[in-house]
Amino acid sequence: MQTVHIEFMVNGKEVALDVPAGATALQVIREMLGLKGSKEGCGIGECGACTVVVDGKAVNACLLLAAQLDGCRLLTVEGLADPAGLHPLQEKMIEHHAVQCGFCTPGVLMSSYALFAEKANPKREEIVAAVAGNLCRCTGYQQIITAIEAAVPGENR
Amino acid sequence: MNRDCTYHRPSTLAEAVDYLATKGGETTIIAGGTDVMVDLRAGKLERRNLLDVSRLDELRGIRLEGEKLVVGAAVTLAEIHRSPLLANHAPALQKCARNFASAQIRNKATIGGNVGHCSPCGDTIPPLVIHQAEMVCTGSSGQRRLPITEVATGAYRCQIARDEIITAFVLEPVGADFADFQKIGRRQALAISRMSMAAMLNQDQEGRITMLRLALGACTPTPCRLRLVEEFLLGKKPQPALLMQAGELLAEQMIAITGRRSSIIYKEPAVQGLFRRILSPVACHD
Repeated sequence: MQTVHIEFMVNGKEVALDVPAGATALQVIREMLGLKGSKEGCGIGECGACTVVVDGKAVNACLLLAAQLDGCRLLTVEGLADPAGLHPLQEKMIEHHAVQCGFCTPGVLMSSYALFAEKANPKREEIVAAVAGNLCRCTGYQQIITAIEAAVPGENR
Repeated sequence: MNRDCTYHRPSTLAEAVDYLATKGGETTIIAGGTDVMVDLRAGKLERRNLLDVSRLDELRGIRLEGEKLVVGAAVTLAEIHRSPLLANHAPALQKCARNFASAQIRNKATIGGNVGHCSPCGDTIPPLVIHQAEMVCTGSSGQRRLPITEVATGAYRCQIARDEIITAFVLEPVGADFADFQKIGRRQALAISRMSMAAMLNQDQEGRITMLRLALGACTPTPCRLRLVEEFLLGKKPQPALLMQAGELLAEQMIAITGRRSSIIYKEPAVQGLFRRILSPVACHD
């Protein structure tokens, strides 16, 4: 089995790893880095449960080859909160009851985080489009979208 | 985990071409990975040396070169959607990126992968067809160009040789009064197109069509420019009754290629509806 040496940033910390050439980013995030927040739902880029942010953009970790993380900045749901507390997106998800089983939540959070990084004041339809690749099978989407809307940075400050 | 894969990331196109010259037969080119990784997971990836071309400078960028519009093969759908240059010179291509899969996939999926996969439902293909695009590939015997309509020899069958890399698409920039891309899928996001259409049109002051280009996607094994429909409408005012007639002609042209399969009960009226919907903003009502 060929391994590939990669160096990248995970949630603000530098890491160097030798990863199997055929491993997905999701496998490395969960199994090698032990960050179990990113979930595997479908494994083929349809459910969005594995969404992480790479160099500021939301991507499906299941469709990313781990070797392609070399030199990138990776943010997973574990990197969202800071020592001062939860991220406003996380706070609002709780407040608006946008979580039931929680399986889709990390992915929804990361898609929303990437949207906020791109647009300071997204409109509701832009929020809907940003999370269209994140499936939720229990809460329904209204609470999720309302929660994200409530966390829009422009609304808070 | 896939244990028998290898991974190689060349730093130049020349290095990639050299690699393919010796290992092309066992190599799969990967850029965004949104198709390759699905095959890899399913155990369906036969050529298991992965050659990552996503960072090759030679495959990046959207630019005007003289009279032509050049889109690098590793340009992502998100970049296509954000490009003001494409919004001006190839608006149907820019629009097709808007509802392509999901935000996550648009951030990784590339135009080269979408075309090279040769899926009949590749959303970038009908817009490339109406811009009479050529695909540029480079291999050990040099560079060649293929008209976009000749890239696929059938569904999922590609003309590109094992030692070649798609590097760019060269489009005819067109300043059209109207251009659009529309599709029908099971849902708006993340649904493979059942049917797609790209259109571009100019009208004179009376509303008569002076230029029309139409392409149909997903319905036929390879991309299909609808020249009969274009010729039928040229010089005429697109009044609702005429568009009905043109839609029937379009459906006939589609059936002439696919034959009357069981799905035609749905597809015949659907393709007519899609056609009328895409041209509805330019319809004349006098």
